[in-house]
Amino acid sequence: MENISSGDTAWLLVSSALVMLMTPALGFFYGGLVRRKNVLATIMHSFFILCLISVQWVLWGYSLAFGPDIGGLIGGLDWAALRGVGQAPNPDYAPTVPALAFMTFQMMFAVITPALITGAFAERKRFKAFVVFTLLWATLVYDPVAHWVWGTGGWLRTLGALDFAGGTVVHITSGVSALVAALVLGRRRGYGEEPIEPHDATMTVLGASLLWFGWFGFNAGSAIGASGLAANAFVVTNTAAAMGALTWMTVSWLHKGAPSVLGAAAGAVAGLVAITPASGYVDASAAILIGLGAGTFCYVGIQLTKRLRVDDALDVFGVHGVGGVWGALATGIFASAAVNAAAPDGAAFGNLQQLGIQAVAVLAAVAYSAVMTFAILKVIDLFVGLRVGEHEEVLGLDASQHRESAYQV
Amino acid sequence: MDLLAFASFAVLVVAWLVAPTQERAAAEVLEERAAA
Repeated sequence: MENISSGDTAWLLVSSALVMLMTPALGFFYGGLVRRKNVLATIMHSFFILCLISVQWVLWGYSLAFGPDIGGLIGGLDWAALRGVGQAPNPDYAPTVPALAFMTFQMMFAVITPALITGAFAERKRFKAFVVFTLLWATLVYDPVAHWVWGTGGWLRTLGALDFAGGTVVHITSGVSALVAALVLGRRRGYGEEPIEPHDATMTVLGASLLWFGWFGFNAGSAIGASGLAANAFVVTNTAAAMGALTWMTVSWLHKGAPSVLGAAAGAVAGLVAITPASGYVDASAAILIGLGAGTFCYVGIQLTKRLRVDDALDVFGVHGVGGVWGALATGIFASAAVNAAAPDGAAFGNLQQLGIQAVAVLAAVAYSAVMTFAILKVIDLFVGLRVGEHEEVLGLDASQHRESAYQV
Repeated sequence: MDLLAFASFAVLVVAWLVAPTQERAAAEVLEERAAA
C-alpha cells in the first residue's frame, strides 16, 4: 500500500461524492421543467437510477467497462462482484489510490449517464419499461463504450481518442439515445396543441446550480489525483459553464426579446457538457471559446429539434448530444500539450490528425448508441410496452405510476 | 486564442447593450395579458 497517496485518495473520494450529488440534482433540474402532475415521477427516474446502477456497477458493470480487455470491445467478467478489486491500487487506471476508490468514482458516472436520457421520455414512459430500459442500456451501451474509450485495450483509447471526463462516454451516448427515445416513444399528448410549461423554474435553477457544483468532482476528479491538472480542470470547468450560461442567455435574449432565466441555467449545463472531454487538455481561453460554442450550438440545436416537432421533452439531445459532439471535436481543436504533457496537441496547434481521431470517436459513439437504443426500446415495447395509456398520461405519472402526489395544495 | 477569448466576451457585452430593453419586454407582456 506504500504507493497510495492520501491526498489523491481524499480528493477522489470527495469527487465521487460530488458526482453522486449530480444525479439527484439532475432530478431537480428535470423535475422543475415538467408539469406538476409528473414531478415526482421525474425525480424518481434519477433517484431510482442512482440505486439501480449502484448495484449493477458492483455486480458486473465495472468489470465490463474496466475489466481485462476482450478484443478492444469490452471488459471480461473477471472482476464481477468486485472480485480482485480491493484496497491496493490498479496501476493501469489509478496508481496512487485504492482500486475501490477508482471503481466508486467511475460508478457515479455510470449512474448519471442513463439518468440524463430520462429527460427525453419524461411525462409518458411506463415505470416498468423505464426500469428494464435502464438496466439494458447501462449494460449494452454505457459499459462497452466506457471500455472503448477508457478501458485498458479499448479500441478508441488505443486509437488515441481524448475524453478526459466523459464527453463521448457520457454525453454523446446519452444525448443520441435521448433523441432515439423521443422518436420511438412519440410526442406527449397535447404537444403543439396546448402549452406544456415548466411547473417550477426555481427548482430547475437550483438543480442546475447543484449540477455545476457536482461537476467540479466530475471533471477535476478525473485527474485522479490532487494535482495541478485537477486545478486546471476545475478552472476551465467553471469558466466554460459561466460562458455557456452568458452565451445562451444572450442568444435567447436576441432571439426572443428577454434574457431567459431557464436559458441561463440550460446554458451553464451546456457549457459544462462541452468542457467535460476537454477539461484535462485545454486552458482557460479555450474554455471561453468552448463555452461560447456550447451556448450557441446547443441553443440552435434545440430550435431545430422543436422545428422538426421532435418531442425531446427536456432538450436532452440539444444539450448533451450537440454539446457532447462539440466538446469532443473542440478537444481535438484546442488540446494543448502545454496543459497536459501526456496528451498531444490539437488542430489549433498544428496537429490536425487529432481532430480526425476525435471525429472517429464521435461517429462510433453516435452510431452504436443510436442502433442499440433503438433495438432495446423496440424489444421492450414488444414485451412490456413503452408508454402509459391515454388516461394515465392525462392523469399524470405521479398518480398513475406511483400513487403519490408531490404537492397537497 | 487569448485574443479570440477577449473578442468573444466583448461580443456578448455589445449584445447586452443592443438587446431589447426589459421595459419593452414588460410592455409586450402587458399587451399579451390584455389581449387574453
